[in-house]
Amino acid sequence: MSFKFLEAFKFYRKKAVLHNLDPRTKLLLALVYTISSLLFTNIIPLLLLFLTLFPLILIGKLAKQWFKSIRGLSFLFILIVIFNTFFLSVSYSIAMIIRIVIMISSFSIFFLTVDPNELSLSLISMKVPFEFAFSFSLAFRFVPTISIEAQNIIDAQQSRGYELKKKGIVSQVKNLFPLLIPLIICSVKRAFNVAEALESRAFGSERQRTYYFTIKYTYKDWIMTFILLVILTLSIIAKIYFNYLPSWVSWGLPI
Amino acid sequence: MSESSPLIVINNITYAYPNGTQALKNVSLNINAGELIGIMGSNGAGKTTLIRTLNGLIQPQSGSIFINNENIQSKTIAEISKSVGIVFQNPEHQLFSNTVRDEIKFSLKNIFDKEELLETKIEDTLKMFHFEQFKEKAPLNLSGGQKKKLALASIVCRDPSILIFDEPTLGQDEKEIDFLIALLRKETQNNKTIIIVTHNIEFAYQYIPRVILMSKGRLLADGPTTKVLSNEQLIKKASLILPQLTQLKASLRAIGLEIPDALHTQEAVRDFLIKFFESRSHKGGLS
Ligand SMILES: Nc1ncnc2c1ncn2[C@@H]1O[C@H](COP(=O)(O)OP(=O)(O)OP(=O)(O)O)[C@@H](O)[C@H]1O
Ligand SMILES: [Mg+2]
Repeated sequence: MSFKFLEAFKFYRKKAVLHNLDPRTKLLLALVYTISSLLFTNIIPLLLLFLTLFPLILIGKLAKQWFKSIRGLSFLFILIVIFNTFFLSVSYSIAMIIRIVIMISSFSIFFLTVDPNELSLSLISMKVPFEFAFSFSLAFRFVPTISIEAQNIIDAQQSRGYELKKKGIVSQVKNLFPLLIPLIICSVKRAFNVAEALESRAFGSERQRTYYFTIKYTYKDWIMTFILLVILTLSIIAKIYFNYLPSWVSWGLPI
Repeated sequence: MSESSPLIVINNITYAYPNGTQALKNVSLNINAGELIGIMGSNGAGKTTLIRTLNGLIQPQSGSIFINNENIQSKTIAEISKSVGIVFQNPEHQLFSNTVRDEIKFSLKNIFDKEELLETKIEDTLKMFHFEQFKEKAPLNLSGGQKKKLALASIVCRDPSILIFDEPTLGQDEKEIDFLIALLRKETQNNKTIIIVTHNIEFAYQYIPRVILMSKGRLLADGPTTKVLSNEQLIKKASLILPQLTQLKASLRAIGLEIPDALHTQEAVRDFLIKFFESRSHKGGLS
């Protein structure tokens, strides 16, 4: 249903290589792929970039969830196609879709394989103040809760005759209100409840705090970091010398 | 089909959530038209999951459900929800309008397309649920109990032949519970079939004739409420507590009072005790 793409961000504890990497490495991964994909506007280089991402999805055992998230966002692709084909060309819209897929995939690898607790630790290790790191990981932790809540709201509305699918843009937008309003209200309420619960446990009363768990950069992380930097460097070089590359790299459809 | 075939036939259904939680295991159940039936069991027993299968919100992975001799798998949720109305646990999941009146209107507008009929139906509903003074109030500013009642109203007004309530007594005061009981009476008299999920054992013992007990996705028991809820082993297994009257009878028996099993109301037990003491005092007072 309409909230299915949230599946893309649900962390499940698994024993896979990617899950064992340091969260910082995976953040780097998301950033390297996002930056690299922004460098190109042609189909071939973007496709090559995407192909390097694919083995990661497989060794991370994420194929199923990844596919779900891509399918859930397909409405976005349709929008991209419509806009770009009108104003530019078909080749360009294909390239943009691949770009979006790369960005979503790299970030969903991050969200799918990083334990919320480790996330805040890694932010702190990057000198982010604890309060911010904590709120960020808390928000992250609530994604699955919100997706279950969204499902419950859909259920409640459907059992009083609400129809999910409507014809026409205007009625489709109007049709979102019965879902979004309860969702927002419940989320805001929960935010207040969490804040009260935190305060009643003396959150933030000590300036210096210690941590029960720690994270460590291992040799696997260094290998991965090296590969990522190579990809980034290659992308930048390819971008700078793009005009000197063989012509098939800038291949596109005639329309 | 034969006249005596049950209205709802649940045939050996199994359901697991996408994350692998096995919420229903081989559940079979028949419910007749006009019945008032309770579903009880501990938290996470699968009660809410079971009722969600009844209007097609989730599809069991195996087994089948027939309502009115029709397999509901072949129907859309919108179709089923015309005859099956579910009021869920949390009213905040469905209230979104600016006023109480609009909230009711939203539930009715795709049933009645004639403006006049719609208006009368809205007014009737507001009156029936005593919402007349609040009708221009925002649903979100109502009290918890009133929100719950509004959610109830927004399903009952659609007049489905099967009504399902998830935890209707939770957080309701005596007055609202009395209102609910009156509503149940009225709807069963109109030959509505009502299914109530509840943790309120005293409520079930007094007002619901038949009850099913669930535990860990399975059906533990199905039968007359007074009988099921007096069975100590079953009750323990479903992590509930015995109704007070059953507890009282047990403790009276423990001191040697032969109290018949068939007494299921306070009055019956009281009368029995009065008679017992009277016959004792005739024989020469208490020893
Ligand atoms: N959306 C969901 N995704 C995954 N698992 C779920 C979901 N909803 C419920 N469950 C699980 O399914 C099982 C049955 O849940 P269900 O909500 O049916 O219980 P219940 O009997 O209604 O409990 P309660 O009395 O607390 O309302 C539980 O183990 C629960 O954790
Ligand atoms: Mg429940």
